[in-house]
Amino acid sequence: MTTVAGRPRKPRTAWKVWAWLAVVAGLTVLAGWSIDFTLSPSIRNVDYWLRTILAFITPNWSYFPRIVEPLWVTFSISLVAAAFAALFAIVVAMLASRVTMRIEWVYRLSRWVLAVWRSLPDVVWAMLFVAMVGSGPFAGTLAMIAFGFGIVVKLTAETIDAVDRGPLDAVDASGGTGFQRARVAVVPAILPNFASYALYNFESTVRASVVLGYVGAGGVGTALAVQSKAGNYENVAMIVLATLVLVIVIDALSWLLRRWLSR
Amino acid sequence: MTAAGLVRPRRPRRRWLLAIEVAVVVLLVVAMWGIAPNWERLAQAPESLVRYGWLMISGLFHNPFEAPWSAHWLAAIGQMLASVAMAWIGTLIAAALSLPLAFLAASNVAPRWVVIPLRQVLNLLRSIPDVLFAIVIFMPLYGLGPLAGALALGIGSVGSLGKLSYEVIEGMAPQTIEAVRATGARPFQVVRWGVLPQVMPEIVAFWLYRFEINIRAGAILGAIGAGGIGSLLKSHFQDRNWDQIGIGLAVVVIITVIVDSISAATRHRIIAGGRVRPDPVAQLS
Repeated sequence: MTTVAGRPRKPRTAWKVWAWLAVVAGLTVLAGWSIDFTLSPSIRNVDYWLRTILAFITPNWSYFPRIVEPLWVTFSISLVAAAFAALFAIVVAMLASRVTMRIEWVYRLSRWVLAVWRSLPDVVWAMLFVAMVGSGPFAGTLAMIAFGFGIVVKLTAETIDAVDRGPLDAVDASGGTGFQRARVAVVPAILPNFASYALYNFESTVRASVVLGYVGAGGVGTALAVQSKAGNYENVAMIVLATLVLVIVIDALSWLLRRWLSR
Repeated sequence: MTAAGLVRPRRPRRRWLLAIEVAVVVLLVVAMWGIAPNWERLAQAPESLVRYGWLMISGLFHNPFEAPWSAHWLAAIGQMLASVAMAWIGTLIAAALSLPLAFLAASNVAPRWVVIPLRQVLNLLRSIPDVLFAIVIFMPLYGLGPLAGALALGIGSVGSLGKLSYEVIEGMAPQTIEAVRATGARPFQVVRWGVLPQVMPEIVAFWLYRFEINIRAGAILGAIGAGGIGSLLKSHFQDRNWDQIGIGLAVVVIITVIVDSISAATRHRIIAGGRVRPDPVAQLS
């Protein structure tokens, strides 16, 4: 004799879940309304699409020689900024982890300062440094150092938190100082991850530094701002394509390096 | 035992590693030249930082409920909320577009001839900066304003959300899929009942994480004309209104930190579930 057990009743969704979903839906409608959400211009302006696509098929190749220098500046900004950001980050990350910083208030203060630091977007740093050291790629570099530093510090500090305790105990047991502890037990353990964060930051810096030109911080963005305001679609297409090639090449190189590091 | 037996072995050294290191250093030095460092201005920077910093902070110490200052605070908060709205709508667009694409790009769900080309498209999308979508496509079509920014963030986030999501789908336990398939389910039903319930928590967590990123990206788009706090700050920087810049930055920091912590708490709740489960990393932060 077999009695087929009835299917168990599905528990009812708690009213709290519905309430939260309603709040989220309400906020979404409010957000959409506040920015006048509509999609009609992209359907109405078929001629703009055609013109843009055409510009990308036939970019102005003769304009290319004039963007070699801005592209080089963008690359330089990214490279120098990524290097210095990584250098500062590995030092400061030691202050922002309980593993390496055992003075409670220093640790708490640095976490707090870094959270505020990270909440500033790169373009805000760029505007700040343009105001302080004048417009040009130098301001852009300083801005990207400040911004990338925040990212690398956070990732590195989290890696330090998760470091293997064994070597730490060994250094403590042999009477090592705090500095020796960081040097011998922490740095070798986090180095592969840290290098990969630094490279990742380099990739994002190349992408982010496109915007720098818009606030006067040099690089290829300056040319892009001028050409797109003037409506020279063929030149804009050339700049965009060249920038994309640079970004993709650097992404690929960095990906290869990171894969090699993680072996 | 002789002392020679205790000699520390020489550290192996690969010659090409040295070559790479030298190349990087040379490239760095050349690049330093390219950015035209202005050491004089840098030396003056601490001084101007103190001067401008003081001006910015003094903006914060005026009574925020008095005549001109209340308007400055309200303007900054309003523009920042517009940036948050822009990031939210952008993230939703990206979520809606990336979810189906992620299933089509997961090798345990879709056939190879779909997976491989789609991944190339996602990779390409991921390497295009949001700013370029805004400048080339959406600002000419939608004019200056947060809507163009929201759409640019939406398209710009599809690449990374798609990648993160298909990695989650590929990392899921295969038994569930087998079980659903064994009941004779069609491919769509396998996705609906086998894959979706298992991967959604992690994917939603990634959406929220992207939302946090997009709030910052929204401010960037503002500076190129997409409205919101970025536009406000840019005009204040042009006019050197340091006290209003101070107010604007304070609003950016406060609202970003608040939205980040709400979003992070929600992510944690989605992943770890309702029970209080101590998370070692979260406790440290």
